[in-house]
Amino acid sequence: MNKTQGLARLFKALANHSELIEKAYYEGVIYKDSKNQRALNQLKQMKVLVGHGVDGYRISGRLGQFVDSALSSDRLRRLDTDLASWVDTLEQQILLYQGAWDENRINDAENYSAEIERVIFELADNLEENTSYLLMLINSRFANVRTLQEKKKQNEFYISRVELLVQAISSLRPEYLLEMVDDHPALYLLLEEQLMRLLPIYHQRLQDILDKLKTFLFELRKIEARAQLVQGFSFFLRQNPGYEMQDWTEQDNLPEQWNQIKPLQLSISANTQDYAVETELVNIVQKLRVDSDALLTKKRKQKINKVAVVDREIQVMELPLYRKWLRRYFYLLEQQQGHAVSALSFQKKYVHDIEPALWLGCVLNEWLRQQQRHTNIKMEFIQFASHAAFTGNKKVKDIVLCWRSE
Amino acid sequence: MFESLVKRLLQGEFICEVTDEAGFQYLQDQENLFQIEDYLQRINYRLASTQNKLAFYAAYMEIDNTARQDIRKIFQQFRLELHPVVEWLDMMMACLKQDTSLSPGDTLALSSLLQVIENNQALADRLQAFAKFKDFTSNEDSVKGRLEKLLNTLHKWGYLQLANRDTLIYQVTGKLDYFYQSLQFIQENEEIPVEQGEEEQTQENLF
Repeated sequence: MNKTQGLARLFKALANHSELIEKAYYEGVIYKDSKNQRALNQLKQMKVLVGHGVDGYRISGRLGQFVDSALSSDRLRRLDTDLASWVDTLEQQILLYQGAWDENRINDAENYSAEIERVIFELADNLEENTSYLLMLINSRFANVRTLQEKKKQNEFYISRVELLVQAISSLRPEYLLEMVDDHPALYLLLEEQLMRLLPIYHQRLQDILDKLKTFLFELRKIEARAQLVQGFSFFLRQNPGYEMQDWTEQDNLPEQWNQIKPLQLSISANTQDYAVETELVNIVQKLRVDSDALLTKKRKQKINKVAVVDREIQVMELPLYRKWLRRYFYLLEQQQGHAVSALSFQKKYVHDIEPALWLGCVLNEWLRQQQRHTNIKMEFIQFASHAAFTGNKKVKDIVLCWRSE
Repeated sequence: MFESLVKRLLQGEFICEVTDEAGFQYLQDQENLFQIEDYLQRINYRLASTQNKLAFYAAYMEIDNTARQDIRKIFQQFRLELHPVVEWLDMMMACLKQDTSLSPGDTLALSSLLQVIENNQALADRLQAFAKFKDFTSNEDSVKGRLEKLLNTLHKWGYLQLANRDTLIYQVTGKLDYFYQSLQFIQENEEIPVEQGEEEQTQENLF
């Protein structure tokens, strides 16, 4: 796939899945289900989305930044690559968030929390990219030069890159940061999962980089060309997880190495007419286990069980109370097609024996059950206003159902 | 030897010094080589070898529609193997701290690899990431279980041979020579950018 095709494919995917991208941008995360799983995977492969938790995806840092600037968002934008200063920004944003939270400035707190989320994601993306890229360069290029002049230039480049990374990682004080957000579980979880849990991996990569630097700082080395091919290819595949090689078997002149036969299944049978091998065949047959004894054993006659017809009393099971009321509620909906009926108002009017929360649960279950048979009933949640940031919870205070009129 | 070699070739095996030392030596003799080639040609096959002549395998003499269909199936398997095998080779270089990639005949001891990976979080993470590839998913949640799964699958695909069953020492087969040849071909013909420059990494905007 050439660059033009790749770009066309990217734009097409962005257009086709704009709703998913929009949701990820505005809500911070989008979770996969049976309908969007394929599209989310494709967007992840194109680096439009990145993984977030087990089943979630978030918008990639750079695309988020682009959308911010395109929409002239007033979100804080940092375009420099000084990772260590990002950590300072993160700490400042947490303090601002706490202040807003304490003073009950809900809107401000939401804005700060969104900013914290973005800085964490950007930091995580940058640390991942920078450490893996530098490790790959160190492994496949460092010290593999001819002159000391080139070596000197290389040393400066690598040392400066390592310094930047060390500064960034050292300035991340895990205990301090986690303690700062101790009272905010959603933020705590975000920091822990997206940044702190990955620190040992970044540390290890830096250690590996340092080991190579120490070994070859004053020495030249010869890296095998094939090793460079493997390392470069591996890095390319990590950057392009959706890459698929061309189908070279479609070419008129098939490249030599793909010409390989389909494995044949070989099997043989004994020639029983060949007297020369008679003795060997007899020996083989004699070694076979014969189960004829078992086959010849007379089968015992099975006893026939007598079956007597017993008249059983038919018991009529009474419908549980909640089912009776559900039946009435849904019957009412059908009677009043086109009119929305609140589940809670119905409960208040008729169903005095069931708690409102329990009743809403029953209505929701029944609606879901009926959805499997038909989609005539439209459902709407009436929610409490959300206060807590990042919980992702919705608190429903009523359910309104309406039987669509034909 | 002639008979067993022909059978193995017809069953799609790669004959190398690791998988069949005697057979490979047999093919080093010109007279034997001609005999095998002659036999294969009678059934419209031919004897092919990898770029460095480290392994022999059977190929079609003429590629008609049926042969092309068969080749397509083999090629699909190679497509499936490409990503995990490259990742494995790269990871082995990191584990063994070598500036050379694995070659046919090299040995890998499960215990030594395990020790290195268990002491290196980044490598353990890479090993865990193999689960995303088909044929590498394992119910085992330990590093040892994952490593065993990795080596077993590569053994099943013909890139490794179990040299010692007790100490679990594996040996790299000649099929890897075939893999490198194909990798080089793809890189050159699909212009995969494997040369990374050492300039300041400035990632451009997406748009």
